Amino acid sequence: MLELKHALDAKGHCLLEMPSGTGKTTTLLSLIVAYMKAHPLDLTKLVYCSRTVPEIEKVMEEFRKLMNYYEKEMGMEQNILGLALSSRKNLCIHPSVSKEREGKVVDGRCYGLTASFVRARHAGDDAVPVCNFYEGFDAHGKEFPLPPGVYNLDDLKEYGQAKGWCPYFLARYTITHANIVVYSYHYLLDPKIAEVVSKEISKTSVVVFDEAHNIDNVCIDSMSVKITKRLMDKCSNSIQILETTISNMKENDNRRLEKEYQRLVEGLRDANIARETDMALVNPVLPSEILEEAVPGTIRTAEHFVAFLKRVVEYIKTRLRVQHVVQESPAGFLRDIHIKVCIDRKPLRFTAERFSSLIRTLEISDLTDFSPLVTVSHFATLVSTYTKGFTIIIEPFEDRAPTVSNPILYFSCLDSSIAIKPVFNRFQTVVITSGTLSPLDMYPKILDFHPVIMTSFTMTLARPCILPMIVSKGNDQVAMSSRYETREDTAVIRNYGNLLVEVAAAVPDGIVCFFTSYLYLETIVSSWYDQGIIDQLQRHKLLFIETQDAAETSLALINYIKACDNGRGAVLLSVARGKVSEGIDFDHHLGRAVLMFGIPYVYTQSRILRARLEYLRDQFQIRENDFLTFDAMRHAAQCLGRCMRGKTDYGIMILADKRFSRADKRSKLPKWIQEHLKDTNCNLSTEECVQISKRWLRQMAQPFSREDQLGISLLTLEQLQSEEMQKKIHQRAQAA
Amino acid sequence: MDGNDQTCPKCKTTKYRNPAMILMVNACGHALCESCVELLFAKGSGACPECKCPLRRNNFRIQLFEDPAVDKEVDIRKRILKEFNKRQEDFSTLREYNDYLEEVENIIFNLVFDVDSTNTNKMIDNYKKENKDITMKNRNRQSQEEIELEELLEAEKAQQSEKANSYVNAELEEKKQKHKAREKLIDELMFSDADAKSIVASHVQATAALAKEQPKAAAQAGGPVVKSSKFSSGIQIGLRQNTSSFLPIPKQQDLPLFHYSAPVFDYNGPSPPAIEVLGKLKYFANIRAANATERAGGYTEALSCCRALQEAMGGLFYIPQSGHKTAVAASAEETDDMETA
Repeated sequence: MLELKHALDAKGHCLLEMPSGTGKTTTLLSLIVAYMKAHPLDLTKLVYCSRTVPEIEKVMEEFRKLMNYYEKEMGMEQNILGLALSSRKNLCIHPSVSKEREGKVVDGRCYGLTASFVRARHAGDDAVPVCNFYEGFDAHGKEFPLPPGVYNLDDLKEYGQAKGWCPYFLARYTITHANIVVYSYHYLLDPKIAEVVSKEISKTSVVVFDEAHNIDNVCIDSMSVKITKRLMDKCSNSIQILETTISNMKENDNRRLEKEYQRLVEGLRDANIARETDMALVNPVLPSEILEEAVPGTIRTAEHFVAFLKRVVEYIKTRLRVQHVVQESPAGFLRDIHIKVCIDRKPLRFTAERFSSLIRTLEISDLTDFSPLVTVSHFATLVSTYTKGFTIIIEPFEDRAPTVSNPILYFSCLDSSIAIKPVFNRFQTVVITSGTLSPLDMYPKILDFHPVIMTSFTMTLARPCILPMIVSKGNDQVAMSSRYETREDTAVIRNYGNLLVEVAAAVPDGIVCFFTSYLYLETIVSSWYDQGIIDQLQRHKLLFIETQDAAETSLALINYIKACDNGRGAVLLSVARGKVSEGIDFDHHLGRAVLMFGIPYVYTQSRILRARLEYLRDQFQIRENDFLTFDAMRHAAQCLGRCMRGKTDYGIMILADKRFSRADKRSKLPKWIQEHLKDTNCNLSTEECVQISKRWLRQMAQPFSREDQLGISLLTLEQLQSEEMQKKIHQRAQAA
Repeated sequence: MDGNDQTCPKCKTTKYRNPAMILMVNACGHALCESCVELLFAKGSGACPECKCPLRRNNFRIQLFEDPAVDKEVDIRKRILKEFNKRQEDFSTLREYNDYLEEVENIIFNLVFDVDSTNTNKMIDNYKKENKDITMKNRNRQSQEEIELEELLEAEKAQQSEKANSYVNAELEEKKQKHKAREKLIDELMFSDADAKSIVASHVQATAALAKEQPKAAAQAGGPVVKSSKFSSGIQIGLRQNTSSFLPIPKQQDLPLFHYSAPVFDYNGPSPPAIEVLGKLKYFANIRAANATERAGGYTEALSCCRALQEAMGGLFYIPQSGHKTAVAASAEETDDMETA
């Protein structure tokens, strides 16, 4: 809190590592709300970004608790409005649209019901369907702002039902004057969405990125484009549709095209001022000077633009017909496209803008067909706007299947700072926080910003409730490692198996294992079958495996939880960087032990990664190895952190790889894990590890009540106000 | 899939059945496979089997795009853009430039879809006549954008090679240093009398210090310096090639400015009378006066007379001193020598 306040006072950015389950969210919320109350002019808004919908809901619950507390203590209603925002899929209450499962379909259908031209048509002809909720919101919603309070997604829906207003647009509209907004990263980082949703958030806001250990990847993904052969074929089809639509329109109703043409002659600015519902297609960041310029004459009329798109598509198709891997810079691509199909850079820049304008003019209400073209238009705009920090890689086939032709064009962003730069520039304080951010100094480097505060916190614990251990060898003294050379070694695989079996025999309830990749998991499990390890394992616990299929995995998870709940005990084999490692908590009995088999390095042969490493080395002086280790260790830490979700929780963390005991790896673990990782636990064999865990588990299994924590990790009000404590706090404040 | 569905419209060969099949296109934008082209256009020219328009065999090119129409369009576009190559700099406003671009696009469109081709061709001819010199000039000139791209590419190339070199060097250096440190440690352990533990400890410290220094050095180097081609104001350093069709003006050396001072002649004799007073002194009495043609060329009798007088008097007092003098001096020295001896 102290550090956070410093950052707020300094109006600078900060980077905080706080162990999960220690009240990170509450701390952030309560301090920032208090700050807002104390300095209403300096700080007007809190934007809290989280990753998934359940996390957003969790934050809202914390916030509700905080507000209730305020009300109880202050004895009056608080004039603070907080709400959560999510996609249409999660907020829609339209009787039929909300039944759709896929987000894209919901968006498309919603657009089909609420776009301005549809509504204009409805005004003339009642048969054209519109969304009554949106109509209700449009008619009345804007005059009556949402009363202060806490609204999570369900509350918004309820409110919308009661009033007959569309909750999605209500939330979007309310963002501008709400005090606290909770939504997903993408609403702020993805330039395509941020432009629409987060445009009007004032500068005097605090932005919090929670669970931000992967923030650089989110930034990169939001600016990258992947184009496959199939996508291009679909593009050709949609171009044909466009052509026919245009010619039809020309015959029947030339007026609209004329009108658009006139508008484009005048400049894009006007074209950009459109109704909020028409923003279904949005553009990647364009330098503002472009928006003020007029559309180049080459793509002003609809036919010319479609022909232009066709040339772009055909050109990309020829590029996809390569026999070997090509890597080139955007500049090289632009020159080549100019030589081959005579397309200049300038009209390319306008592609996305022009395309959305065309779609609007043609009044196409079903956008799902055109999503491939949208992708291509974004690609065209991005490639001509940014010449630095991007690379184009064309792979004719996947590395794993060199005989199957599957050409893919990757337009890959190498610089994670590009997407996040506007956020840092715009808002006075950006807080980046997660349970596992170590090593902290890497983030300012790769995101290219200067934090005023950068701290890693530890936990004050009443008992040693985590037991990290590094197991480096098996009972037969063969070193355990997932190094490439020893990967296939049966001795190593057997030792991993024995470790798991012995741990499963000693540890109650749930055990989660993480492997470095799906491939590795599969090979190991298959040889465990041969070695009979699976049979031994199933004598103790049930076995569940994560696969690449999301549905299968969630089924496995449900049954894993069931097995843990009824006391049977289970082992879940999963993959670091997979779905399980990101965002599923194994608290209490669901995860009494986490095993990390090997160091989860990324697949280093990937060309995109290679390009990015090179870029990092050239631009930020980050060595390849440093980055790879950093990335591997943050994922390892993320996996280990899964089992610890609070102070009353306890869990064993076993790092099964010889290389973990080296100083460069060990020092990159989060401080709160390092603190418990004693030197004596750093080079264990399997049996030693089991010995230690047995002793520790016996200790942990003792009843642990709230009173035990008092005075150490939990303070009563009296204790907090006691003289001794006050002195301590004072000292800390002085020191800082 | 992937291009295997390409079919020759004439002989119906597909890419799947004959992987070596190559489709060709001509000006009309209809595809034919290579063998059909050879068969039908054996004489060098013929009609397109689809649209019956007369074609030459030489104009067949390999089809680049999946859609032959695009090939045709690109072909026409290239031809047209060769003529219509005005740049934004040639227009006073952006609006005019955009209008011009649209017109060009219209022309290309008309040609591709054979709309109103007579009028369009007339328009092209008119344009050609009117803008002959601009077209010629622009042909040699690259547009601003192209130059920018070119520069970017060049910078990238330079950077890449330089970086590759520097990193290889740095790595080598590091290896060498490690090797050296190790050898030094072994040497010390072998020959020094000090406690082995303390030697190892000091070695560990030294390597740690080195390791600390290295990242700093790397950071200081800050990557190889890229030769900047622009001032901070964005103005190019040095002359850029291809921007103008003029020869560069040869550079002139900076010398001190010229000051005239009348030459002073050393006649080495009695000074001849000045040219202005020759007439008064009646020198012209004895020489032929300049005739009209000579005077037209700027000749006067004074010139030749003055010259003759200068020649006559110059050098009258000359005594070939130097040679004589040294001889005398030498003999004098000789006598001196003899006296001392």
